[in-house]
Parts: sequence; C-alpha cells; structure tokens
Amino acid sequence: MRLNERSQLPLVAGISLRYALTYAVLMLLGALFLIPFLWMLSVSLQDAQGMFALPFRWIPDRPRWENYGAALSAVPFGRYLFNTSVITASVLCLTLFSCTLVAYGFSRLRFPGRDMLFAVCISTMMLPGQVTMIPLYMAYARLGWVDTYLPLIVPSLFGSPFYIFLLRQFFLTIFREYDEAALLDGAGRLRIYWSIVLPLARPAIATVTLFCFIGTWNDFFGPLIYLNSPEKATLTLGLNMLKSQVIGSGSVQWHILMAASVLVMLPNIIVFFLAQKQFIRGIQIGGLRG
Amino acid sequence: MRRTLEGYLFVSPWLAGFILLTAGPMIASLYISGTSWTMLSPPVWVGAQNYARLLGDDHRFGLSLLNTLTYVALAVPLGLAVSLLLALLLNRRIPGRGLFRTLFFLPSITNLVAVSLLWMWILNPEYGLLNGALRMAGIDGPLWFQSERWAKPALIIMSLWGTGGTMIVFLAALQGIPGELYEAADLDGAGAFSKFVHITLPMISPAFLFNLIVGIIGSSQVFTQAYVMTGSAEPGTEGGPNNATLFVVLYLYKKAFQEFSMGYAASIAWVLFFLMLVATVLQMKLARRWVYYEAGEQ
Amino acid sequence: MTRRAQCLAAAALVLAGCSSGDRKPEVEYNCPANALEIEVLQREITRFEADSGIRIKLNPFSGQDKLYAMMAAGKAPDIFYTSSTMRDRLAAEDRILDLRTVSKGDPLPGRLWPHVILNGTSVDGGWYSLGNWEFTCGVYYRKDLFREAGLSPPDSSWTWDDMVSLARKLTRPPGPDGRGGRYGIFIGSHFVEALELMNGADIPREMLLLRIPAESADLYRRYVALMDEGIMPDLLRMQAMGMQPAQLLENGKVAMLVEAVPNQSLIEAMTAPWGVAPLPRFPGKKPAYFRSASGGLSLSASTRDPGAAWKALKWIVTEASTYQPNPVLRDVDFTGGWEKRYPQLLGSGFRQVWDLSLEHNGGDPRFFVRFSSWTSGPILERLQPLLDQVWARKKPVDSLLAAIPAINSEVRREIAVTSATMTMKPEFREKIEQALKEMHDHSAF
Repeated sequence: MRLNERSQLPLVAGISLRYALTYAVLMLLGALFLIPFLWMLSVSLQDAQGMFALPFRWIPDRPRWENYGAALSAVPFGRYLFNTSVITASVLCLTLFSCTLVAYGFSRLRFPGRDMLFAVCISTMMLPGQVTMIPLYMAYARLGWVDTYLPLIVPSLFGSPFYIFLLRQFFLTIFREYDEAALLDGAGRLRIYWSIVLPLARPAIATVTLFCFIGTWNDFFGPLIYLNSPEKATLTLGLNMLKSQVIGSGSVQWHILMAASVLVMLPNIIVFFLAQKQFIRGIQIGGLRG
Repeated sequence: MRRTLEGYLFVSPWLAGFILLTAGPMIASLYISGTSWTMLSPPVWVGAQNYARLLGDDHRFGLSLLNTLTYVALAVPLGLAVSLLLALLLNRRIPGRGLFRTLFFLPSITNLVAVSLLWMWILNPEYGLLNGALRMAGIDGPLWFQSERWAKPALIIMSLWGTGGTMIVFLAALQGIPGELYEAADLDGAGAFSKFVHITLPMISPAFLFNLIVGIIGSSQVFTQAYVMTGSAEPGTEGGPNNATLFVVLYLYKKAFQEFSMGYAASIAWVLFFLMLVATVLQMKLARRWVYYEAGEQ
Repeated sequence: MTRRAQCLAAAALVLAGCSSGDRKPEVEYNCPANALEIEVLQREITRFEADSGIRIKLNPFSGQDKLYAMMAAGKAPDIFYTSSTMRDRLAAEDRILDLRTVSKGDPLPGRLWPHVILNGTSVDGGWYSLGNWEFTCGVYYRKDLFREAGLSPPDSSWTWDDMVSLARKLTRPPGPDGRGGRYGIFIGSHFVEALELMNGADIPREMLLLRIPAESADLYRRYVALMDEGIMPDLLRMQAMGMQPAQLLENGKVAMLVEAVPNQSLIEAMTAPWGVAPLPRFPGKKPAYFRSASGGLSLSASTRDPGAAWKALKWIVTEASTYQPNPVLRDVDFTGGWEKRYPQLLGSGFRQVWDLSLEHNGGDPRFFVRFSSWTSGPILERLQPLLDQVWARKKPVDSLLAAIPAINSEVRREIAVTSATMTMKPEFREKIEQALKEMHDHSAF
C-alpha cells in the first residue's frame, strides 16, 4: 500500500519524480472513481438498445433527454421530492434543537452522573437498529403511526448520539470564560446557550445540518418499513419501487432507471458542492477525537 | 442542587429518548425473542426455543453469519487500506488537490439505492463496464452478482468506491501530525518506509481505531445493497445465488416482514447485538496495545 | 364582510359539504403499481361510482411483504391480491372472507370456469380468492429463421425430440469476431414445471412435502442436456444479462423461446415474423398444458361493507377495461378480443395454443401451488439453491433427489412448530395435523 520510493529522488525538469508519481496514481484512481458517474450519465441518455451495444458507445448519436421525462412520470418523483423535503426539514429542525441542548448539557454543565450518562450515550451508537426495530414497529402500529411520517420524525426530537457527540466535542473547545462572564452578569443557563454558545458553534452546527440532511435524505430502511402508501414514499423508496416495477415486468429499462438515479443523486451533489468546507471540517472534528 | 436540575433538564431530551426508544424497546425485544409471534395473533411464549433453533438447527442463519463475517473480514481491511492510500496521496500540496478530494468523497454521500443500481449495471456480466474492460485485456469476466463465488467480491468493489468518508478522517489525522517529527527522523537518516511505520501509523492510530470500529459496525449491518441488488421479484430468493449474499440483517428482515416470525427475528437481532458487543469490547481492549494517544487526549 | 363573518361562512360551507350525504361506501383496492393502468382505471372508476354509488379508492401497490404489516396496523385495504401461500395463511387466521358468503345468488360464479374457483379454494373448502388473470405458455419461434433453414414450423403434435432436433439445426456458432451466434432454443427455468406436466408428472394439489416424481427428474435431465449440448444458452448467463426474453428472439439470438401466452410486451416488441406453437409432447404421455393459477383477489375480513366490496370486485373482474377480455370468464371471447387488438396474432398459432390449454388443462404445478402454502416457503428456501446449482451444471440431477429426505425432515419439524404456535381456524389445523400424521405413516418422504 505504500509508494515505492527512496527519500531523495532526482529532480527532473524541476518536478520531482515523487511528485509526478503521486500525480499519476491520483489521476488513475481519480479516473476509476469518475468513470461510474460518467457511465451513469451516458446510459441515462441512451435508448433501450443502446445499453446492449458491444462495444459500448460513450456518447450516443442522439441524447435521449426524454428518458428523464419518462423517469419522472413512471413514478411520481415530484411528489416524492416534496415528501422527502418535508421529512428532512422536520428532522433537521428537531435534531438541531435537541442535539444542541443535550450537547450543551454534557459539555458545559457539571452534574453527578454526567460522564456515565455520556458513556451510555456513546455506546448506543453501536447498537444495531434491528434490536429495537420490532418492538418499536409494534408500538407504532398500536399508536396508529404506521404509514405516517411520525416514526421517522419524532425520534429526532430526542436527539441522536452521533450528533450529540460531535457537538459536544466542539463545545468543549469554546472558552469557558465566556460562560463564566455571562453567569457573573446574572444570565441564566438557557440564555447563555442561546446567545453565546450557539453562535460560536456555527461551524459545528452547519456540519450537523449537512450530515443530518444527507442521512435523512438517503434513508432507506426507515421509509421501507414504516411507509406503505405509495403516495407517501420518499425519493429513495421511489427509486426502489421504480426498480422493482421495471425489473419485475420482465423488461429491464436500465436507461430509465439510470436517469432516475441521476435525478435522485442530484440534490445530494448540489448540497455538497455548496457546502464542501463545512462538511469536511465536521468529519475532521468528529473523527480526530474518536 | 440547582446545577443538577439544570444539567438533567438540558440532557432530558436524550434521556427521555433513551428510555422510550432504546432501553424500553430493548427489554421488549428481549421478551419478544422468547415468543412466537405473527403480528396478527397474540404472542405465544416459547422460552428459549427460538435461540435453540437459531443456533442449533438453522443452517441458513449460520450461512448468513458466515456471509456477513466474510464480507466484514474482506471489506473492512480493504476499505481501510484504500482510503489510507488515498489520504496519503492527498496529503501533499499538489494543485487540484481539492478537486480530487471532492471526487473521492462524492460517492460516499450519494444515495445507496442509486449506487446499488448503478453498480448492478456496471457489473453486468455481458454488457457491463468492468467485464468489457476485462474483455479488452483478454480476460473472460465472471458473472459477478449472478455468481456464487463473485457476488461478495462484487459488493466489496462497490463498497470501495464509497470509502470517501473514511479517507477524510485519515486525511484530517494526517494533517494533524506535526512536521517536526518527520524532520527529526530525516536528521536521523530514516527511510520513507521507516517514517511511515514509526511516525505516521502511530500518530493516526486513534483515527484508525475510529474507522475500524465504525467500519465493522457498518459492514456487519449491510442490508440495502443486498436487498436492492439480489432481491428479485419473487420473495424468498433475496439471498443471491445460492444464498451468497444472504447477510444477517437481510435474513432478519425476511423473517420479520416476509414470514412474520417476529419472535424469531428478534432473537436474530439479539444474537447480532451480542456478537457486535463482544467484537467492540475486544477491539477496545486490544486498542490499548496499539493505539497511541498524545498526552492529554483520551 | 368582516373577517369573523368570513370565517364563520367558510366553516359553515365546509360543514355543509361534509354532511351533505357524501357517505358513499368506499372500497380500497390494491392495484398493481403500473402508471398507465392506473390512469385508465381512474377514469372508469368515476363511471362505476356514478352507476353504483360505490367509490373505489386506488392504492397502487408494489410489495407483497407490506400487506401483512398493513393488516397488523389495522390499515388493510379491502380488495387486494393474494398469492396462494398468502391466501391460505390469511384464511387460516380468519383475515379474508369466504367469497361463497358474499356471492350468494350472484350470477358471477356461474360465469367463471370451474377451475378458476377451484384454484381459489383452500384446504377447508372455502373459496378465498378470485383469479383475475390466467395465462398458458407456448414456444415462440422465428418463422423467417425456420424458412431460411428449410424447416417446417412446428404443430401441436411435435415432440420433445422433434424440438431438440429442430434446435440443433437452428443453432449456429458465432463468427470469428464473436458475433452472429445463435442458439436453437431458450427455456427459462420458471417454465421447467410446465414441461414436467407435459412429461406426465403427477403433482397433487395439497402435497405438504417435497416429492420429485421420476417424470420430473427425467425432464430436468433433458433440460440440462440442452445446455450441455450447446443448443440452449447458459441459464445463469442469460439471467445475468438482464435482457428481456423477447429481445433475444427479436435479435435472433435464439430461434425458439418458451414464454407466457399471451405476453403483451413480447407481442408489442416483436417486429420480426414470429409464430407460437404449443409445448412439445412426450411419447406415450397425455398432453397436459400449463394454465396458471398463481393467486387472485381477496376481500379483507375487516371490510366495512362486504356487499359493496363484492360489487367492486365483480366490476374489476368483469368490466374494468384493463383486464378485459378476462380469461377467467367462460362467456367471453378471449382469443377474439386479443386478435382484434393485435392483428398479428391471426395466423400465429395463438388461438390453437390457447384452446388446447383449455381442452387439456394441466393446471399450475409451480412451487407455491404444488406444495401446500404452509410448507412451500421452507421447501423453496432449501430447494432453490440446489436447483440453481443443477441448472449451473455444478451438480447432477441425482443430487436433488438425494437431498429430498433431509429437506423433508427439516420441513416437517418447521411445520410442527408452526402448527403448534400459530393461531388457526380449527378446520385448517385439523387438515395439517392429519397430513402430518399420514406423512409419518408413509415415510416414503
């Protein structure tokens, strides 16, 4: 796994060999990573026969933009976009609200049992969701929440260990002096939380927002289990429905499926490009202290 | 006193959630695992019978455990190696670094269902990209998802495409290594390999541990890819060719939502939990040996 | 008007709308999630509503595993599709209606083919599902390729050996560039059972355990021999390709293809000249053509208005245009209707294939019908991987036969557990326990 190189390589035309080698490997790997995306785009613009052409033609004679139209109409993606947005927005708000509160409690306040509770919180990250899945499902069924968005949204009211952990780590780096000064001035804890710590924690909050957005937007297992009515489905579920519709009928219309996949991937990619720095910084914070 | 109240107040959302959504259901699911229960009829207590059947009689469960273990044993080390390699490459100040970083990271945040579909097609034996490339090199590619032997490697290849997240963690760790260490080593005349083994690896070991644990936990719960890719129109055949991609969580899903043996499914979940607990504790214990923390960190 | 008055007026209007007797009975129908079908159905439903006063709510559905979950959550639809397996389980748990009760005095049962009612009957004698579609299968072939090779097209008297010899003559190896190869025939693995029937395999309806009669084993060997000889493409490779079978025939990659009759997508996709012949016969065996019976529509036992639900079900089966002409009805000109819609069916052999399947109805021996629904799941779970290996020619057919006792003993244990722990209507439990007892006595399994 290590590049074969000796410490001092000759400089060739001002560029060290090590440099060039690194670049070459990067280009190769970059190409490998890029090709699936390109292929997805290419297939999505071809017709039913185009995929089966040997050798594969990367650029079709006539790009079939109508595949995207067909994908949109085969399954009501517009509706699903709306559903997914509603769910994601709700989850986002509730998550930010609860996780920041709890993280603040774990990082800034001292009370007996704090560290033990935090350890418990972390360890629940390792719990496979399937252990609690069945009783939760039954409970939701009793409550009549199955086939509604409630099982997907309400749990975020109680916070999620991963984000709590991330936020706590960040809060720990904010100077205590601000808190103490405010306390001396007679401000209540809640006020300190709201007007001092939160604004300072903007990068971490942005990160949590992004993670939460991506996670909820892409969630598959939750909607798969809890949503039954097709009109309530999310984008991910819609894609799966399209797939089983398309494959089950005996004719595999991959070009439509790829077009649909591109559409589903688009929001993620857009959001990512808009907020790259925060995203990566967030993982750094979380991972380093792990 | 006031402090305690304040503290608990702030933490109350999580605490309430823990009791309602985690601890409570865990106890309930333990009870359910001792019953035989299709959802429509009342549960029938059977004691440890589910576990006895599961561990003694159920060949498919054993197979699913083996499949999951194989997958984890292959996917996690390979994933760590590849992402470490990428991080090392990106750790140099070269132009276009940001672009590459984006490129490598992008697949890991895109929709898993879409990714599964994409790779289903790339790994199509006849018309797919990979076999096409192999054909040009004169190799007759395997049947990938239709082949018992190559279905798991196919999933692993797909998972390697998505190691962007792990790579970023490594990258952050690498960038946190103080340069002086390397300079000192240079003065001592250390070679590149020696620097890697004695400086780089120990300094990133916390990140390594993090990625390892997260990787193992994540891989052992592999579900979506297997469900989307090897699930066919007929329920009962999602295990892939000769059940090669029947993983534990997939098996659990089948038992719960296709055969409605809720009690049995709950017992599967508990066995999985127990195994993961053992694995994590083992790792944490072993970690003391090889993970190096700078003074003050923990 | 003041704001307050506006609000009150709006509220009054809403209330008026609610109480103006919009209490039509509403029936929820789980229909296949096909966008075009739904569009057409939606239009016709409004007419049905105007005529009968019953509102049908469409619920596009794309997953059987959700149905049970919906029932448990109390949100079951009124009309839904059940496979034979689901039907028996739900009937045993008293979740679906016996259609004999709701259809008393109704002319519809008289209009159905007798085997349709039989297909929907469970082991306690109750009629729990009404089939909404039937199909048979045949051998589609390329007329032009036959002509080219100087071969005369097959007719209903052709035998398996005739078919093999034709396939041999039509198979062509690929050229030096790797293209242009052609196989004589392709038979998907799910049509193997249809051929077992033609070979005279006797597969009783309520078999609880796995039994592979000699005729079936013989057929499996012949099937594998096709691949060994190279006149049929490798099964796994074909499945992996993801190509529609019709595309194979259209591209000339195969000269003959066993497929469902009628197959709408094939009929619409084919531009090359084609015909369809009945399945080949086996010497000395009476013809028994496959006719599907894989399930049908059932009525939920918790439906609020059984009468309305039955009327809606009746309308769906007899009048919803998407399903017409409906082959389950005796008094409908099925072949005529299809020939009108697709003129290329005239002279293709379609009519003959269909009429033969009615005359010599062999039924549906597919796994979930062959075995009792209580055991088909466990049996298939264990049998399918072995079958896959046999079709991949990694193991011989005899390995299947050798595995039967082990499979059956495991299945016997599972069903004992099931019957001990599942809530079932007494009639069902009695039948299962009786069958278990008989199996113990005749341990030929």
